[in-house]
Amino acid sequence: MSAEVSPTDHLITIRDLSVVKQGQTILDAVSLDIAKHDFITLIGPNGAGKTVLLRHLLKLETPHAGTVHHQSGLKIGYVPQRVSIDPSLPMTVQRFLTVNNDVTSAQLDSLATETKVSHLLNSPLADLSGGELQRVLLTRALAGKPNLLILDEPAQNLDVNGQLQFYTMIDEIYESRKLSVLMVSHDLHLVMSSTRKVVCLFRHICCSGAPESVARDPEFISIFGDDMAKLMAVYPHSHAHDHDHDHHHSSPSEES
Amino acid sequence: MSAHILLTTLALALVAGPLGCFVVWRRMAYFGDGLAHSALLGVAIGLVIGVSDQIGMMAIAIIFALSLIWLRAKRVLATDTLLGILAHAALSLGVVAMTLLGAGDVEVHDYLLGSLDAVTQDMAVWVIAGSGLSLGLLMRLWPGLILMTTSEDLAHAEGVHIVRYEFALMVLMGVVVAASIQLVGILLITSLLIIPASTARLFARSPEAMAIGGSAIASVCMLIGLPLAENFELATGPVIVCVLVAGFMLLLMAHLATRKG
Repeated sequence: MSAEVSPTDHLITIRDLSVVKQGQTILDAVSLDIAKHDFITLIGPNGAGKTVLLRHLLKLETPHAGTVHHQSGLKIGYVPQRVSIDPSLPMTVQRFLTVNNDVTSAQLDSLATETKVSHLLNSPLADLSGGELQRVLLTRALAGKPNLLILDEPAQNLDVNGQLQFYTMIDEIYESRKLSVLMVSHDLHLVMSSTRKVVCLFRHICCSGAPESVARDPEFISIFGDDMAKLMAVYPHSHAHDHDHDHHHSSPSEES
Repeated sequence: MSAHILLTTLALALVAGPLGCFVVWRRMAYFGDGLAHSALLGVAIGLVIGVSDQIGMMAIAIIFALSLIWLRAKRVLATDTLLGILAHAALSLGVVAMTLLGAGDVEVHDYLLGSLDAVTQDMAVWVIAGSGLSLGLLMRLWPGLILMTTSEDLAHAEGVHIVRYEFALMVLMGVVVAASIQLVGILLITSLLIIPASTARLFARSPEAMAIGGSAIASVCMLIGLPLAENFELATGPVIVCVLVAGFMLLLMAHLATRKG
């Protein structure tokens, strides 16, 4: 999203994307660019349209108004929020990682080492813990040699320690593979402590930039007042500061 | 048992294994029942416009699948409710039409429970061709179908055309249900799909093993069941299902015993 790169360098260019469902505006004139080696974290309260925006980024849906342009040669690796495996489907991790793609066993071995799932290859997919499953999904996303990784709240079901480890792994992959990352995240405390670019969505893009500038944005504060307080409450170090958030109970996000 | 019946049976058993897996994985059992119930209407329509039972049944199966997809997209009623309405509407219309057209009770009975006499040589050719084509298409679509069954979102994002794949699966079920009705009967057709796959699930470690295991189990059980039905002059459907259930119970106990030990 940096201003100095030319539009042809953008992996994805979104212009004035609007989505209306059953008379309700879900997205209102959203414009967003994802450039090479961007690391964008998309935040926003529930119902802000994050999932809808993601589905349009992936071209799973056709825009009502506006355009979504993929650079030719763009390869997206997608990590869904979660997969729920029906117990009647016998599926090992190895089989899951090689179904419907052309990954060789040598490629699989090196990928599995990178994402620390080598010891899981023969386990049934249904037996994995939340963190293991996320790493397996990440492995599958990387198997297509993507230049853009899109993750939908990847650490939602992990404990704080697991979240931290998963985000560290994403950081390492981002650096070593020189790819772009777009991640939807609810983990504001982790997002805010990194130096990556943050885009705040609430039907339109309210603000974007470095975490510290976004956190000071009046629109961000008016939207996130309460949500922020709730999320910070699960962060161990914030217990002492709970009283700081008491006065936020009439934020606009509650009225909608 | 004559050669054409043997080949028909084996063709059906082979395709019932993998297709049955999807019925189990994707919870399509009620859809299978609905398709089977609508088949009688297909037979009636075949009688009226003078085409064979199978063509009538397949046409109705495709209309049934399209109606379901269309109604489901309206998001007014749940899928099982829609299936109940469609299936019983088609079954009732079918029975009324068959009776008015003068098809006797005996013939309706054969359609409901299956009969060896109904398997003619002409029909055998049709069933073997239909099963073979279905099996071929299923193998071609297999990787995409497996990914879609694991995670629809992931498959969609990786370029699998979900709606087309789902429709293909429904049509395949329509073809196989139409193909196996004479032998197994409308009331029991779903068990021919579900029980072999469920039995294979007890020991399968991969989707492919479950599919192949299902085909093997269906073949063995049908080849045991058909001569029994012939010798004792019983309806074929119930006898085949009894053998399938016996096999399932046997392997279930073996499975539970090895898991404890």
